[in-house]
Amino acid sequence: MTSDTIATRPAAASRREMVLIFRLMGEAFALSVSCVHEILDPIPPTVVPNAPTFAPALVNVRGAIVPLIDIRRRLDMPPAPADAASRLIVLELPVSGVPTRLAILCDAVEEVFEADTAALETVPSLGARWPEIYVKGVVRHTDDLVILLDTDTLFRPDG
Amino acid sequence: MEDVNPALGAFVQEAREILENLETMLLDLEGQPQPEQIDAVFRALHTIKGSGSMFGFGILARFTHHFEDAFDKVRDGLLSIDDRLIDLSLKARDHMSALLSCGGDCDEAEALEASTEAGRLLRSLSDIVSSTAADAPHPPAEASRERRWRIRFRPEASALRNGMRPDLLIAELAEMGRITISFTAGDLPALSDLDPATSHLCWIVELLTRQPLSEIEAVFIFADDAELNIADVTEQAQPAAKAAPAPRRPPEAAGENVRVAASKLDEIMDQLGELVIAQARLSQLATATSDPDLETMVEEVERLVTGLRDSTLSIRMLPIEMVFGKFRRVVRDLSAELGKDVALVTEGGETEVDKTVIDRLSEPLVHMIRNSMDHGIEGAQARLAAGKPAQGTVSLSARQEGGEILISIDDDGAGLDPEAIRAKAVERKLLSPEAQPAEEELFQLIFAPGFSTAKQLSSVSGRGVGMDAVRSTVDALRGSVDVQSRRGRGTRVTLRLPVTLAIVDGLLVRLGSSVFVIPLASVEECVEVDAAEQTRDSGRTMLCIREHLVPFLELDAVFAQAQSAEPRRRVVIVKADGQRLGLVVDDILGQNQTVIKSLSQYHRGVEGFAGATILGDGSVALIIDVASLARRALSQRHAQRTAA
Repeated sequence: MTSDTIATRPAAASRREMVLIFRLMGEAFALSVSCVHEILDPIPPTVVPNAPTFAPALVNVRGAIVPLIDIRRRLDMPPAPADAASRLIVLELPVSGVPTRLAILCDAVEEVFEADTAALETVPSLGARWPEIYVKGVVRHTDDLVILLDTDTLFRPDG
Repeated sequence: MEDVNPALGAFVQEAREILENLETMLLDLEGQPQPEQIDAVFRALHTIKGSGSMFGFGILARFTHHFEDAFDKVRDGLLSIDDRLIDLSLKARDHMSALLSCGGDCDEAEALEASTEAGRLLRSLSDIVSSTAADAPHPPAEASRERRWRIRFRPEASALRNGMRPDLLIAELAEMGRITISFTAGDLPALSDLDPATSHLCWIVELLTRQPLSEIEAVFIFADDAELNIADVTEQAQPAAKAAPAPRRPPEAAGENVRVAASKLDEIMDQLGELVIAQARLSQLATATSDPDLETMVEEVERLVTGLRDSTLSIRMLPIEMVFGKFRRVVRDLSAELGKDVALVTEGGETEVDKTVIDRLSEPLVHMIRNSMDHGIEGAQARLAAGKPAQGTVSLSARQEGGEILISIDDDGAGLDPEAIRAKAVERKLLSPEAQPAEEELFQLIFAPGFSTAKQLSSVSGRGVGMDAVRSTVDALRGSVDVQSRRGRGTRVTLRLPVTLAIVDGLLVRLGSSVFVIPLASVEECVEVDAAEQTRDSGRTMLCIREHLVPFLELDAVFAQAQSAEPRRRVVIVKADGQRLGLVVDDILGQNQTVIKSLSQYHRGVEGFAGATILGDGSVALIIDVASLARRALSQRHAQRTAA
């Protein structure tokens, strides 16, 4: 038994990932914390005329001009105004191979938890209206379903 | 993993510079070659040969060896310099440059070595060398006597890690004559402490050769940090103790210049940009608090930041001569190809321009020079008939005017033919047959995509690319192009470019609640919109300003914003692609100097913007790119018309 535990632990540990849970219209979504740079109160955005709808604006994050990505639009959700609980999540991740800083607006930031990605379940085809390519899968956390988003596809510019 | 090895990187960089200079040196030989110039060429080749084999560029070194042989003959006065030799040398230089670009003895380099072109070059070189061998009266005096040299060489401890190959150096010595090699291993640590990448040995080589001392020194030219003693021991039996230190090449004014990666400069520029923005916010806060002490301090900081900004910008400045120098070759090659005798005159090469501008400028300038030579300058017969000297002249000049650099390409050729341009433009549907554009506007059409008036295609130009590429590059650099031409007298194309790309003087305008920046360089004037104009919805979108018709764009419409309800609006008259255009805005807020930040890949494709900046209040403002905005509006208008 002991040897069995030792043998399986590294494998199991490698499947665990720290994720940040945030809310959009009541749903719990999650992104890997490894790409989260900081979490800020909303900053008034500057709209870029004629920009693609999923990247409508720019924000000043401490002297750096950062594109604001509208993930509600990506997930086919209706737009909503920011309120007191809204937060800006600043991410830093490679987009088409280029390290890029970008920001997304969410309704609330909840917590960081260690998700067992081995237990990731795929969303049934009729299980959600979100485009499938943006969703990696679903994990259970307490009594909730947490939707793990795919940062590779979600932030790809030509989408 | 080239960048892992700094010494190899330094070699490639240095070799590239040597090759660039070599081109100029060879072209200089065309006039009246001075012995020092020939020596300089020989030294350049020798350096590349020696260091090339040391850094794993064996193929390059082998080729250079033959090239060097030819110049050895020239140096000894056995071979005279003529056009054929210069032609051949220039081609050989190009081949060396290609070999260098391969980055060492890889398959690519081997393929190049085996190419017929390389074979032809080598044959021509050896023909030249052997043609002199027969009538060679005697070898030069200095090399006549065989001497014995004792060379003591201790590489610097880290040299091996930097890619130094003592074995190759010794092999090179072996090529010069007979050698005996010994080494001392006194400094060798215990085996357990031995780091194989650290050099502990000291070689002592005895060399029996006819080559002069300078040749031996040249072998070690890249082993700068090594301990090196070269002594003439021809007459001596036990010379080691008396070995005199060989005169070393001075370390190339190392204290005066520092080579810095351009990316580091960009980083500094970025941080400086943030500092300028932070400083603007600080002075805004200070004005609001009206504390005299704070205000004094803020003024002091402002002065310092301005100074720092200017000196940082000056670091990025390079003389435009760096680009001009390349064109001598272009003009020489083209003269031969087109069978036209053309001289290149350059002026104002010392004018300094931002490195980014220099880097992007060289290609458009080549296009323009080609155009001048191909289409502008007439054949010798036609020139003589027109009472002009048979030799044509293309002159390149640069000067600074305020925050702009003006670069002109002048030719004394036939000038542009407005009627031919007109006919072509109508044929290419760039102009409607009824239109009667001013000559100036007509000339701008040569920059339109797909426009080419060359009657026959040559390898030089006339491929329909070129001039439109010139304009897009200039646009991207936030500059403009002017064309002046007189029939029979020549053409002058003037590029106006900002001195720096990092900072722009801008006009702040308001549209609804958003603020935009229009680069001041493209602004001509600001006027108020007539109340009558505001309510006009007939579809007329032009103003009459001092007798001239100026079309205007309502920015709220172009930017798909809600229609402005402001009672009094303003028009900023800008110049886009050589034409005046009004931009209707709600208000003009003032002028400022802003640091340009480029847009991310999400917004780079959005037409009409050159970048973004952060304003004094911390908000982000977009910088309008007038030329691309005008083009966007034009294509929208076309689309509307086709739809209707």
